[in-house]
Amino acid sequence: MSNYIELKKISQSFNTNDATITLFNDLNLVISQGESYAITGPSGAGKSSLLMLISGLEEPTSGQGIYVDAEQKKTLKELRNDIGFIFQQFHLLPELTALNNVALPLKLRGDKNAMAKAKVWLDKVGLAHRVDHKPSELSGGEQQRVAIARALVFEPKFIFADEPTGNLDQKSATEIANILFTCCQENNAALVLVTHSETLAARAQHKYLLADRQLNQTVSPSDLDTNNIVQVASC
Amino acid sequence: MLSNNLKLAWHFYKQEYQSSHQRLLRWIQGILLLFIITLSQSSISIQEYLDHNLQSLLGADAVLSQKAELTPSQHTEVIEITDDMVITQHIKTTITHNGQWQQAKLKAVGEHYPLQGELLTSTALKEKGTPTFAAPKNGHIWLDARILASLSLNIGDHLQLANQQFLVSRILQHEPDRLMEGHTVDMRAMINLHDMKALNFSPDLIHYRYLLAATPAQVNNLIEWQENNLPAAEIRHKNGNHPLALFWQRTENFMGLASIILFFMAAIAVNQLTQVHMKKDQYFSAICMSLGASNSTGIQVSFFKWFIGLLLLLPVVLLLSACSHWLIVNWLQETFADMQWQWHAKSALVSISAVVTIFAVFHAPVWLSLRNNSVANLFADKSKGLSHWLSKASSIIVFSAVTITYSDNALLTMMMVAATLFTIILMILISWSTLTLGEKFTQNFSGLVPFSLFMMKQRLVSKSTQILGIGLCAFLLLFTLMLLKDLGATMSSYQRQHDGNVMISQATKPQMQFIETWANEQKIAVRQAKPYMYAKLIEINQQSLSKFSDKPSDSLATFSRAIRLHWSEQVPQNNKVIDGQWWQPNSENWQQVSIEEEVMTDLGLAIGDWLTFFIGQEETKFQITASHVFTPGAGSITFWVQMPPAALAHIQAPHYNMASIELNSQQWPLLANLWQKFPSLRMISLKEMTDLFDRMLAMITKVISGFSLMIILLAGVVILASINALESKEKKKNSIIMSFGFTRSTCLKLNIIEWLVTASITATGAILGTYFTGLLIYQSQFSLNYQPDFVWLIATLATILCLVTGLGIYASRSNLKSSVKQLMAET
Repeated sequence: MSNYIELKKISQSFNTNDATITLFNDLNLVISQGESYAITGPSGAGKSSLLMLISGLEEPTSGQGIYVDAEQKKTLKELRNDIGFIFQQFHLLPELTALNNVALPLKLRGDKNAMAKAKVWLDKVGLAHRVDHKPSELSGGEQQRVAIARALVFEPKFIFADEPTGNLDQKSATEIANILFTCCQENNAALVLVTHSETLAARAQHKYLLADRQLNQTVSPSDLDTNNIVQVASC
Repeated sequence: MLSNNLKLAWHFYKQEYQSSHQRLLRWIQGILLLFIITLSQSSISIQEYLDHNLQSLLGADAVLSQKAELTPSQHTEVIEITDDMVITQHIKTTITHNGQWQQAKLKAVGEHYPLQGELLTSTALKEKGTPTFAAPKNGHIWLDARILASLSLNIGDHLQLANQQFLVSRILQHEPDRLMEGHTVDMRAMINLHDMKALNFSPDLIHYRYLLAATPAQVNNLIEWQENNLPAAEIRHKNGNHPLALFWQRTENFMGLASIILFFMAAIAVNQLTQVHMKKDQYFSAICMSLGASNSTGIQVSFFKWFIGLLLLLPVVLLLSACSHWLIVNWLQETFADMQWQWHAKSALVSISAVVTIFAVFHAPVWLSLRNNSVANLFADKSKGLSHWLSKASSIIVFSAVTITYSDNALLTMMMVAATLFTIILMILISWSTLTLGEKFTQNFSGLVPFSLFMMKQRLVSKSTQILGIGLCAFLLLFTLMLLKDLGATMSSYQRQHDGNVMISQATKPQMQFIETWANEQKIAVRQAKPYMYAKLIEINQQSLSKFSDKPSDSLATFSRAIRLHWSEQVPQNNKVIDGQWWQPNSENWQQVSIEEEVMTDLGLAIGDWLTFFIGQEETKFQITASHVFTPGAGSITFWVQMPPAALAHIQAPHYNMASIELNSQQWPLLANLWQKFPSLRMISLKEMTDLFDRMLAMITKVISGFSLMIILLAGVVILASINALESKEKKKNSIIMSFGFTRSTCLKLNIIEWLVTASITATGAILGTYFTGLLIYQSQFSLNYQPDFVWLIATLATILCLVTGLGIYASRSNLKSSVKQLMAET
C-alpha cells in the first residue's frame, strides 16, 4: 500500500473578540500518494486552513491526523520533509534567478548537485532557455512553471497547490494544469489542490466540496473521464 | 480640501503611531533634535558668558610673566608701551596649621590690585563674595574655602608660614586674573607684597606676573618687545592667546566632528526607513486614486502626517533639551563660576528650523515618488529605481550641508570624510569578496552555513546596504571609544608608575642636602634623586614658538613655560634611546640634547634639529642628537629634555632636584617639620597627584561618554531601521523556506548565521577603518600619538559585535512570526 495521510474527525475553529468561529466539524479525509485531489468551496469556507492541517503545519482544534509511511504510522509533524507547496502568487524570491529559485530547497538540504538537478527540472517544465532570468523578467505562466519545478525538485511525496492557476490567463492556466498533473503523476506525488476553477478541479481523481462546515466528495476516480486527461510531454 | 486632507493625515497618523517604521523615525528625529538644540543652547551660553565676562575672567588685557623681576629699565619700557600695570608675585608653598599641611599657590598683591574685574572676598564660608578694593593688610592672609576646610581653619585663626604668623582675615571667593594663569586647581592664598618680601623666599622660586591694561595695538607692540627683550617670558592676552582659546578651539573642533558623525548615522538610518515609508505611502496614494482622489491628496496626506509627527515631538524634545542644557551649565559652573542657565528662544527656533529642513530633505524622496504615482502601481510593482537613488542623493545633500555648516576645522572634516569613505569602500569590498568567495568555496559542502552564504550572495545589494549601515556605526563607535581611551592614556602617560609615596618636585641644593641627611636620620628611603635646571624653549630651528605651529598641542603648551632640563652622563635606567645616539662619556660636544619621543612626534622634530633655550639669563642652543622613551621598572622620574653634564660648565643657572621618598604611616607627621623649615619645598603625595589626574580624566570622560551614548542610541536605531526595511522580504523568505518542509528553528539558525557573517564583515571593516582614521587624524588634529592597541581594539569590537548580533537576532524575531498560511490566496 502506498503512503497516505489520514484525517479522522477533524474539527477546526478559532476565537474572535466575541465569538468562536467553526470552520469545519468531524471531517474525515485520506490523501494517498500518487493520486490527485481537488478541494473546492466558497470563499471563507476554510480551504486554506484545511490545506494547513493536511500538510501538518497547523494543529486541529480536535481530531487526529496520521501519516503512514512505508506502513509505519507517524504524526503529521513528521510529514514535513515530504511536502511541497505551490501558491497562487508564485512567491519566487525576486533577487534569485529561475535556476537559483529551483535550486533553493536542494541547497537547504545540502544537496551538492543542486544546480544540476535544478537545470534538469527547468528543462522538464520547458524553461531551459530562461535559467538565468529573474522572476520580474518572466511571465506569470513562466513563473508558475518555475514554482512547480521548485516544489517538485526535491521529490516530495505530497504537493499542496493553493489556486495554482488563479493568477493566469486561460491559455497559461491550461498549460500549467497540464504540467502540474503530469509532473505529479510521473513523480508519484500526491497532488492536493484548492481551486475555484471547476475546469481544473475536474481533472483531479478525487473532488471534494468544502461548504457549510462539511467536506463532501463529489467526484471519485470511477467518475473520472480519462479522455479529459491531456497528455503532455514527459515530466 | 486642504483641511480634509489634514484631518485624514491626523487620522492615519494615529493609526500608524505604534508601527515600527514610525517609531524608529521618531527616535531618529528626537535624538538629533535633542543633540542640536542642546548643543546650540550650551554653545550660546558659553559664548555669551565669555563675551560679557572676559574682563572679569581675565583680570587684564595682557599678562607678562617670568621667573625674574623686571629691571627698572624694562619696567619703564613696559609702562610706556601699555596703559597701566599691576605687579603680582606667586610662589608654590606649603601652609601648616596644628600639624596639618596644605600645598597652595601663594599670591602677593599690592594696593592697586586688581587691575580689571572684581576681587571677591567674604568673612564667612557660606557668605556671598563682596567686591574688595584693597590688598590684604600686613600680617594678614586670605585663603580660599578649600584650604580653610583642609586645615580646619576659621576666620580669626593664626597660621604659620616660614616662621611668620599670619592672621586669617578673609575668604578668597574670586580673583579676576586667575584664568590668565592657566587652568589650575591649586588652592589659593593671598598676602600683601610687603609680607612676601619679609618672608625672604629665594628669588629664583618666585614667579612675577605683571597685569597690564593695553589696547590690541599695544598688545602687539608688547609681544614684539617681549620677543626681543625677554624671550623666556610668557605673554597671555585676550585676543586669542589665553587659556580658554585653546580649550574653546578644541571643544569646537570636537563638537563639529560630533555633529557630522551623528548626522551621518541618522542619514544611514533614515535611508533605510525611507524605502518603507515610500512603499506604504505609494500604496495608500494609489488606493486613494483608485477611489477617485487626485495625486495631490496622497502627497498632502503624506506631508501632513510627517509634519504632525514632528510637531508633536517638539514639546518633549524642548523639555529634554532644557534639562540637558541646565545640567551642562551646572557642570560648567565648576569652571565658570557665575554662569547662569538661560533659555535662548531665538537660537532654539533657528536650530529647530535647520533640523526640520534637514529632515524634510531626508523625506523628500518619499514625496517626490508620490508625484509619479498612479493606480497602475497596484497592478504591477513599479518600484523604485529613481526613488531609490533619490533617497541616496538626499542623504548626500544633507551630509554635505551639515559638514559645511558645522565644521570649523576644514582639515579635520576632510579627514573624517576621507576616513568614512575609505571605510565604506573597504566594507563594500570585504562584503563582496567574503560573500562571493565564501559561497564559491562552500558550494560543495552541505549545511546551513553554505546555504546562508549562498542566500547572502544572491541578495548582495540589500545585504551590503545593511552591512554598510551597521559597519559604519560600529566604526564610528569604536573610533570614539578609542579616542576616549587614548585621551585618558595620554594624560596618564604623565603619571608614571610611582616609586615611593611622596614626590619632591623641586628642592634647591641646600634643601636636598638637608632632606638626604634628614631622611638618613629618620630612616626614610630616598628612592630617586635627579638634578635639573629650568630652561625655557624659545626657538626651534631659529623659528619662535608662536610662528612654529598654531595647531593645538600639549607639548607646545607645556613649552610655553620653563621646563626641567636634566643632565646625565649615561642613559638613565628608566629610559631607552630609540633614535639617534646618546653622547659618549666625557664628550666635549656639550650642545647636545635627547628629547622624549612623544614630544618629537607631537612637534614634528627630527634628529639634527636645533633648539634654543633661555637658561639663567642667557640663550643656549642645543642640537637634538637622540630621542628616548620612558621604560618602567627603574623609577618614575623622567625628563623630556636631557643634556650631557659637560654643559654645566657653560650654563649659569640655579640647580634643583626632583626626588621620590617612601614614608610609612608613622612618618607622615615628620613632613610638617620639613615644610616649616622650607615652605617653598614642592612636595606632593601620590594620593594628591592621583586625585588631580582623576578629576581631569573624569571631566573628559563625561563629555565623550555622553557623545558615545548618542552614537550607541543611533546605532541601535540604524540596526532596527535596517531590519525594518527588510522585514517583509525576510518574512516571505522564511515562509517559503517553511513551505519546503523546514521548521521555524531552521529559519532561526539561518538568521543567526546571517547575523554572525554580517557581524564579522562589519568587525573587519570597522577595525581597519578605525586604524586608518587613527593614523590620519590623531596626530594632526588631537595631538595624540597614535599607537593602536590591537588587543583592546579587538576586545572592544568583539563586545560591540556580540551586542550587534544579539540585538539583530532579537529584533529579527518578528520575521520568524511568519507561516506558510500567509502565502496563501485567501489570507
